[in-house]
Amino acid sequence: MNKTVLQIIRFVVLVLFQVLVINHIRLGGYVHPYIYLVFIMLLPFSTPKWQLLVLGFALGLTVDLFTGTPGLHAGATTLMAFCRPSIIKLVSGNIKFENITEPNLGQLGGLWFFRYVLCMVFIHHFALFFLESFSIRLMGQVLLRILLSVPVSIFLIMMILYIFKSEKKRE
Amino acid sequence: MYNLRRFIIKHHFVILFILLEVISVLLLANSQRFHRDRMVNTTNDVVGKIYEWSSEVGNYFRLNNANEQLAEENALLRQRLSVVYDTTTCTFDISEGDTLYKYIPAQVVNNSTNQANNYIIINKGKVDGIERDMGVISTDGIVGVVTDVSRHFASVMSLLHSKSVVGVRIKESQELASLKWETNNYRYGMVEDIPTHILLQKGDTILTSSHSYIFPEDLMVGTVEEFYPTAVDALNKAKVRFATDFATLRHVYVIRDLHKPELDSLKARLK
Repeated sequence: MNKTVLQIIRFVVLVLFQVLVINHIRLGGYVHPYIYLVFIMLLPFSTPKWQLLVLGFALGLTVDLFTGTPGLHAGATTLMAFCRPSIIKLVSGNIKFENITEPNLGQLGGLWFFRYVLCMVFIHHFALFFLESFSIRLMGQVLLRILLSVPVSIFLIMMILYIFKSEKKRE
Repeated sequence: MYNLRRFIIKHHFVILFILLEVISVLLLANSQRFHRDRMVNTTNDVVGKIYEWSSEVGNYFRLNNANEQLAEENALLRQRLSVVYDTTTCTFDISEGDTLYKYIPAQVVNNSTNQANNYIIINKGKVDGIERDMGVISTDGIVGVVTDVSRHFASVMSLLHSKSVVGVRIKESQELASLKWETNNYRYGMVEDIPTHILLQKGDTILTSSHSYIFPEDLMVGTVEEFYPTAVDALNKAKVRFATDFATLRHVYVIRDLHKPELDSLKARLK
């Protein structure tokens, strides 16, 4: 399948899954997992940096349209996209990407992915929950939201990545 | 000029990042202002349609509950109607001029209860006569205020919103107060500004006040769960259990105040 078509399908499916399913799960008032970030995480390594930012902004804004919070997810996702190149450098260390064109669970392994997802999710959630409350007064509540939501998001994202990986093998 | 261009090309990543973040924060700041001054309309028909499709699937599983609830409400309304309904001639004794409010039924197509600012999307919009600042109620109690309208959908700022303030009245003492939400539990709100001489007890009823231009008087808001008297502050607080169950909200009514244009023009003349 054409790579661009695959990306578009991924974008649409992830956004719909986020706003129609995940956003309706109630796990107490503090746990809000976000999985649409997978789209930015799985973009090829060769994606131009400016494209990362534009795609991050567009992805966030699309989710914002559904949640009625213009700018909230856009801001957080743009920040995450901005940090992506540095995070990849940070978690890779000496790994060489000679034949690897995009973040791929099969080739890079579970540990690499876990560290990658952890950093990305943390930055996104941190920015998101702070932008959402827009004040220092609710600091304790915001930190609690971050601490409780990050593990759930990571768990769901890793699960999605594993499911996606097994489908790729079957093709 | 050449240097500027070189600078932009060299740092385009950072510059674009800052630009997009500034746009995001501006959008966000704008959306957090009081909804009357908002520039960007966030309600849109495509999003509404997608939510409607998705909620139609879910609705089939809740038909039983919804039917029961509507039947109960029907029974209640019939009871009230007996006052004005003449059974011998089957006519209503209400003249158009006396009716203050018109109720427009609508269905919730999307709803959230776990964000800091929750919005509800309903499947009625401009073509059905919905406008900004109209009150929304359910069978059990008040729900929120319409903030944005598109052709066929409207978004409603739920009581579960950090900026939500509703003028309320304590039924027992007739004292006025205001209702807010403390961003963590969808079952409870907080009534503030209760005068110190008023002592509330668990189970006391909170109703809407006549001072609000959004809700008719005496609609159910909730019941007092816990009373917090403060020695230092001059005003007391009380935790209130909402009469509306926001988690299972399906059928709502939008209230059209037929005297609002008149009131508005009067207020405009006073300025």
